[in-house]
Amino acid sequence: MREEEFVSEELIRLEDLVKIYDTGTLKVIGLKRINLTIRRGEFVAIMGQSGSGKSTLMNILGCLDRPSMGHYYLDGIDVAQMDQDELSRIRNQKIGFVFQSFNLIARTSALKNVELPMTYARKNKRYRRERAQELLDRVGIGVRAQHMPNELSGGQRQRVAIARALANEPPLLLADEPTGNLDTASTNEIMELFSKLHDEGTTVVLVTHEEDVAAYTDRIIRFRDGEIISDEKNEPCLRRQTQRQEGSSCC
Amino acid sequence: MLLENMSMAFSAIRANKMRSFLTMLGIIIGIGSVIAIVSLGDTMRNMFADLYKDIGVTQAYLSIGYWVEDVRQSDYFTLDEMERVKEVFGDEISYIDSNAYTSADATFGRTKIKFDYQGIDDTFQDVQPVNMVYGRYLTDADIKDRRKNVVMDTKSAVKLFGTENAVGKTFRTTVYGSVDDYTVVGVYRKELNAFQAMMMGGNSGNGSAYLPYTLLTWPNDQFYQLHVYASPDVNLDDFYKRMVAYIAKKKDRAPEDFYLFTAASEMSSIDTMMGGLAAAVGGIAAISLLVGGIGIMNIMLVSVTERTREIGIRKSLGARTRDIKIQFLTESAILSACGGIIGVLMGVGLVSAGSAVFGLKAVIRPEVVLIAVGFSALVGVFFGLYPASKAANKDPIDALRYE
Repeated sequence: MREEEFVSEELIRLEDLVKIYDTGTLKVIGLKRINLTIRRGEFVAIMGQSGSGKSTLMNILGCLDRPSMGHYYLDGIDVAQMDQDELSRIRNQKIGFVFQSFNLIARTSALKNVELPMTYARKNKRYRRERAQELLDRVGIGVRAQHMPNELSGGQRQRVAIARALANEPPLLLADEPTGNLDTASTNEIMELFSKLHDEGTTVVLVTHEEDVAAYTDRIIRFRDGEIISDEKNEPCLRRQTQRQEGSSCC
Repeated sequence: MLLENMSMAFSAIRANKMRSFLTMLGIIIGIGSVIAIVSLGDTMRNMFADLYKDIGVTQAYLSIGYWVEDVRQSDYFTLDEMERVKEVFGDEISYIDSNAYTSADATFGRTKIKFDYQGIDDTFQDVQPVNMVYGRYLTDADIKDRRKNVVMDTKSAVKLFGTENAVGKTFRTTVYGSVDDYTVVGVYRKELNAFQAMMMGGNSGNGSAYLPYTLLTWPNDQFYQLHVYASPDVNLDDFYKRMVAYIAKKKDRAPEDFYLFTAASEMSSIDTMMGGLAAAVGGIAAISLLVGGIGIMNIMLVSVTERTREIGIRKSLGARTRDIKIQFLTESAILSACGGIIGVLMGVGLVSAGSAVFGLKAVIRPEVVLIAVGFSALVGVFFGLYPASKAANKDPIDALRYE
C-alpha cells in the first residue's frame, strides 16, 4: 500500500543508473550512475551536446534500451530487467513517443497512424476510430484525418505524431528534439501544444539543444559526458498568445 | 488484428505493384501450370470415360495371338462357333459379332466416296444406342437373310446423296470383289465432339455405314476375331478369363495363345499415362514453386530492409516481436496467395479456352483450386519465415535510426 502512495507521487525514478556500450574492443560509458526523479505533471527539458548522454537516457526512459546497471522505476514498475516483449507492452501503455523526424508510417492515413498504438493494445476497431478522430481534433487537425503523411506539412505531421503518442493515455510523453525539423512558426505551435498538454496534466519530458524550446518547460536538466551537470527549476515563459503579444520579455 | 495485418499487407503490395507482380510470377507460373495440367488431365479422363461409355466399357476383342507362329485353320472362328459361345455364356454376353469391317468405294450417280463398312448384328443398337432420324435399324431378318441393306449416319448420307433423308436410296459398292446395289433402310444422327471424331473417325473424309455382319463374313463364314460386349453386371476379368479358357479348349490351344484386348485395360493404361504426366508436371511445378518461393523470400528481405524504420516505429509504439513477425508473414503469404489466385485464373482460362476449341467440357475440380491457392499461401509462409523473423528481431533503436 505504501508503495502505491509513493508511486502516485513519482512517475520516473532512476537509481544509480549506468549504461555501458560494449563494442567488443572498447567499453564506452554512456551514463555514469544517474539518480533522477521526475514527478507526475512535470514538464522537463533534457539538454546537452551530442555525446553528452542525453540520447542514451532518452532511449532508456523510453524503454527502447535497457540500463547496464541500476534501477529504472516507471510508474512504480522496475523495467530495468524486463525482456523485449514486456518492454513493448510498457512502451505501448506507459509511453508516448514524439520524434524529431515525426516517424509517421508512410502511405498510411493520419487516422490510421493514430490508431496504431491502440491496435497493438488490442482495442476494437470502433473504439480506435472514434478515439483517433477525437485526438486529431484535440491537436487541431481533425479535418485532415484521411490525409497521408506526405500530404501534410511538418507541423501537421508532428501534430499527428503527438495525437498518436497520446492514443493509449500514457502517463509519460517523451519527445526527442520534437521541433528539430520545424520552422520557427511550427516550432512555436508545437511547443504551445506541449504546454497545453502539460497544463492538462500530462508529464512531458523533452530532449532538445535549443534554449528557446527548453524555455517552455519548468525544469531543465543539463548533461555532459554522461553526467547531470545541472538540474534547475525554470520559470516558463508566458505561453499564451495574447500575453506574448503584450511583450513578454521571457522568450 | 488479422484484418489489420491483411489490409497493411495489401497496401504494401499495392505500393510496389510492378515489383509485387514480378515476384508473384514464379508462383503464378507454378500454380497456373499445375491447375492447367491437372484440369487438362481431368478433362481428358472425363472425355475418355464419356467416349468409352458411348462405345461400351465392357467390350473386348478376342483372337489368336499375333505372336503365334503356327496359325492353323481352326484358329479362325466360324459363325457356328460364335453361336455356341452365345449359348454357353448366355446372359453374360450382351452382344457378340465377328468384328467384320471393310472399306470400299460407294457410287451414287456421279458421286463416288470411300465408305467404311462395319458388319453388325441387329442387337448392336442395345450396346451402342443411336438416334434414328429416318427409317429403321437393321433387323434380325436383314442379318439372317443377308439382305443388302445398310444404316448410315446423317453426315455420310449427305456426302453420298446430298440429303439426310436417304431412306430407300440405292448405291453401288464392291464387297469382297462382288459389285452389288445396297439400299439405305435407316439414317441415324450421332453427335461427336471434335476430339471424339478425331479419335474414332480417323480419316473423316470417308463415309461410314453399318451392314449385316453376315454379309461381311461371306463367303466361307470364317473370321479372325470375336468382338464381345459383356453384360454390364458381370465381373469382367473373370468373365473374359472363362471365355478365353473355353475357346482355347475348343481349339486345342493354351489360353496364353489368345490375344484379348479389353476396353477396361486400355482405360487403365490411359489413366496410368495421365498419372505419369501429372507426376512429371507436379515435379516441374514443385521446382517452379520453389523458385517462386525463393523470389518471395528475396523480395521480402528487401522489403524488410527498406522498412527498417517502419519496424522501429512500430516497435516504439508497442508492437511485440510476434506482431512484427505476423505482419510480415501475412504479407508474404498474401503476396504468394495472390500469385496463386492469378495462377489459378490463368490455368482455368487456358483449360477452358483449350476445351472450347475441341468442344470438350472443361473439368475443373474446386478442391484442386482450393489446394493450389492454399499451397501457394503455405509457400509464402514458409519462405516468409526467415525475412519475418529478421524483421521481428531488429533492435528498435537501430531500426529507428536507420535512414
